[in-house]
Amino acid sequence: MPPIIAKEKCNACGTCAEICPTDVFRAAGKRTPPLVKYPEECWHCNACVLDCKQSAVTLRLPLPAMMLHVGAGKSKSLSGGKGEKGGVRR
Amino acid sequence: MIPIDKETLEADVLVVGGGIGGLMAAINAAGQGARVIVAEKANTKRSGSGATGNDHFVCYIPEIHGRDMDPIVKELRNSMVGGYHDNCMSVKFLEQSFDRVKDWQRWGISMKPTGKWEFIGHAFPGRPRIFLKYEGSNQKLVLTAQARKRGVRIENHLPIIEVITRNGEVVGAIGLSIKEEEPALKLIRAKTVVLATGTSNRLYPSVSPGWMFNTAFCPSCTGGAQAMAFRAGAKLVNMEFPNKHAGPKYFARAGKATWIGVLTDPQGEPVGPFVTKPTKELGDITGDVWNSVFTDMYKSGRGPTYMDCTGIAEKDLKYMMNGLAHEGNTAMLKYMDEEGIDVRRRRVEFAQYEPFLIGRGVEIDLNGETHVKGLYAAGDPVGNFRADIAGAATFGWIAGGSAAKRAKGIRRFQKIEGSPVVKDHTRFCSKLMARENGPSWQEANLALQQIMNDYAGTGVRSETLLTAGLTYLRDLKRKAVATMKADDSHTLMRCLETIDLMECGEVILLAALERKETRGLHVRSDFTFTNPLLQDKFITLQQAKGNVQIEWRDRR
Repeated sequence: MPPIIAKEKCNACGTCAEICPTDVFRAAGKRTPPLVKYPEECWHCNACVLDCKQSAVTLRLPLPAMMLHVGAGKSKSLSGGKGEKGGVRR
Repeated sequence: MIPIDKETLEADVLVVGGGIGGLMAAINAAGQGARVIVAEKANTKRSGSGATGNDHFVCYIPEIHGRDMDPIVKELRNSMVGGYHDNCMSVKFLEQSFDRVKDWQRWGISMKPTGKWEFIGHAFPGRPRIFLKYEGSNQKLVLTAQARKRGVRIENHLPIIEVITRNGEVVGAIGLSIKEEEPALKLIRAKTVVLATGTSNRLYPSVSPGWMFNTAFCPSCTGGAQAMAFRAGAKLVNMEFPNKHAGPKYFARAGKATWIGVLTDPQGEPVGPFVTKPTKELGDITGDVWNSVFTDMYKSGRGPTYMDCTGIAEKDLKYMMNGLAHEGNTAMLKYMDEEGIDVRRRRVEFAQYEPFLIGRGVEIDLNGETHVKGLYAAGDPVGNFRADIAGAATFGWIAGGSAAKRAKGIRRFQKIEGSPVVKDHTRFCSKLMARENGPSWQEANLALQQIMNDYAGTGVRSETLLTAGLTYLRDLKRKAVATMKADDSHTLMRCLETIDLMECGEVILLAALERKETRGLHVRSDFTFTNPLLQDKFITLQQAKGNVQIEWRDRR
């Protein structure tokens, strides 16, 4: 959230508003890019980005949805251990 | 007053929800000559939990698995989708699942991207595998085209808000048009109705508090089938059992079984008993069959738990990324790319998400029919069977076929205009739109979530808590109905969804009170024993003459 429409690329075809599974957009008029009316209802499915023929839509993921990650570091078991074969525990 | 569209539609088979189950029902029904309408809340090309793709399809392929289906039935029951099936449903599903796979392959969904049927991931070591790996990013486009090809009329942006019955039989339904800012009701005379509204989300707080739409499954799917079926007099089953999904912590629109890695603790020790290094063939099924592992590890203080893909072969990494794209996770992949999250060097924290309804809900028979004549259900809202995409495809097909057959024997449509249920809904929708002040749907939905979390959650459940929760929820529903306010067609739809969710919540509380034992994630603090005598017993709830009848039955 929210989808961001680059106005200079958008040709106001309305596809994003038409196909959004959560009805985030409202079509604003024939020559106007759709309005991102309910940005907090975005599901991050990416349909609007995938279906925009003008590549005018991008998603900005909200901070609460940030992916948490750490460096891999050492991991002794991942190199295999006693009683383990082919990465599968027996 | 909210306007009612002057044109009443007519359908032999009205399909409610154009997801995988709904489109497959429509395709089969139309193929048999039925006049079919799909009423869809969004647009069938991109709606529901399969909107941008999936990559695993449970099925039985005799040439791969052998002629004896029994071991595959057993695997299905032990998998993440098993547990609360009627056995006869599992068997019928498996018998027909390969036919649906072949249909999809023929129609242009790549069910064997490598040229052969491959069962990769979601797998136990040394056991038969049941999850066919496929490339489903175009599945909704293909199924929509197939439905249109057979003459199915697709009404997008028309969520169905009520099924109309007369003398115990389906006669039609009421839709809410959200095409324009101003809402309008649309009436549909129907000989049969197939409910296929998907999973029920937004019942419990999401993994990000206050961020209601951060859900693994489509947050527009909100228990419509369960609520409408229940109000129409059908039975709901297995509603007391919470189900949780898991995946990257705080980013719920993502998968877990497509990852090729090992779930590990902070020291890199595997947390599950199945794999010790990334294997494309198996994945790490720990997250499927023991997804409380993330919560268990966290509570024990030994967390967090990570998806560790380090050591993955380059070709397997490519395979995994392709799988994630076809599963519909392109937003996540782009984010990872932008943030420099390279899984060869970074471990991603995984977590268990909030409970939601999938495979808990409407009881159907082997033909997909409910206890109400002419009312069918398919896919995720079914309560006595679950196989996710494959279940929706297969039982959607079955329900659509059964509905078409029944419709052939019904000569006339019945008039629904002016019926009491239409008048009630017209009045109620008009009231919501006319109120100048009052709580928004968000307030009502959040209030519901906190009650569900605290009184019917997965931490503590007991007679006293569940009873209190039931009282509070009923109070909340009364207040919401009496005061909630909508501004436009979109928020009116959300208000009605919230009421459906409250009705699902009420049934969950009643069922949870009835099951006086601990089983799965239904943890009764006052009944900690898992009673073997109740292992194959299901609880059904049905509304009759204003009362809720609660019954036990044997697993079939």
